[in-house]
Amino acid sequence: MLPTQLAKLPRSARIWCTTFVLIFGMPGTLLAADLQITDARIRLLPGDIPAAGYFTLTNTGETGTTLIGADSSAFDNVTIHQSVSQDGISSMQHVEQLTVAAGELVELAPGGYHLMLMKRKHPIAVGDEIEVTLLLDNGQQQNVKFRAGAPTTQ
Amino acid sequence: MRQWIIPVFVSLWLMGCGEQTWQTKDISGLMPPLAFDLVDENGNDVTADQFLGKSTLLFFGFTHCPDVCPTTLARLDAVIQRLEETYRDDIQVLFVSVDPRRDNPATLSAYTNAFGLQFTGLTGDKAALDELTRRYRVTYGYGEEDSNGNYDVSHSSAVFAFNEQGEARVLIRDSDPMDAVAADIKRLADQ
Repeated sequence: MLPTQLAKLPRSARIWCTTFVLIFGMPGTLLAADLQITDARIRLLPGDIPAAGYFTLTNTGETGTTLIGADSSAFDNVTIHQSVSQDGISSMQHVEQLTVAAGELVELAPGGYHLMLMKRKHPIAVGDEIEVTLLLDNGQQQNVKFRAGAPTTQ
Repeated sequence: MRQWIIPVFVSLWLMGCGEQTWQTKDISGLMPPLAFDLVDENGNDVTADQFLGKSTLLFFGFTHCPDVCPTTLARLDAVIQRLEETYRDDIQVLFVSVDPRRDNPATLSAYTNAFGLQFTGLTGDKAALDELTRRYRVTYGYGEEDSNGNYDVSHSSAVFAFNEQGEARVLIRDSDPMDAVAADIKRLADQ
């Protein structure tokens, strides 16, 4: 079953080689084990109006982790945004990166940080699970399932 | 100790007799009565007097606002759903879009229907929106367009509440606790 070159190697070397390939060879599956994502949800709005994604990022690791973006096969465009309010006027700012210090958590919650998910690629219904890939500055990525909720979701 | 009993008793008694106060920001007499000349979500020209007879919650926003606008509207919906049915029919939420370029009547209608029967979408041309926002001393503005043609709209985040006669009563902010908002909306509907 193994490629001929590999089959010629001694058995112990073969095991090491296979293990090495399995651990390091799978693209995009280098999981950020120290980053926990909880309460991931999307608030759907009608038509093609952008949706907001919310979740809590907890860094259980020893070093800081920085979120630099997100992708989803269900949306054309996903960006990190922050709602800000000054003198009673609300506006939205693009967020280039969001760092979670070691042992800390950051909430992406209504009225603050959120994902803005634009241009649905297919219809999404309330209750659907939507996969979003979070991109980190060290090249790691993490796939997260977001639950789609109604417009009145808080 | 004894000399305190009477003053404490008297002040508690006076507090009990005092008129109930609003729990969010009281704007009675500080803001003008409800008046506007806009287009509703069916494309009809409407004026504020057509909306008298119910308590009105007025909010400025835009539909392409994924976070703040639906959060505020969801809070209002939650409060309205907590009311008894008789009160629910006495409340209307007017969502005034300050982004008429993207928010045509069809988009507004789909948007407000997603929140409930009490929600109605309104918008207007720049002159009508400028007049209304100036009347309530708020501003709005447009951010730069990105490569996808998307742009942000800044808008007032508070909700102006009026009684059935269209007189300004309270300003509800996102930081107000839900119980305070619920108490004031119930009081408005009850008046």
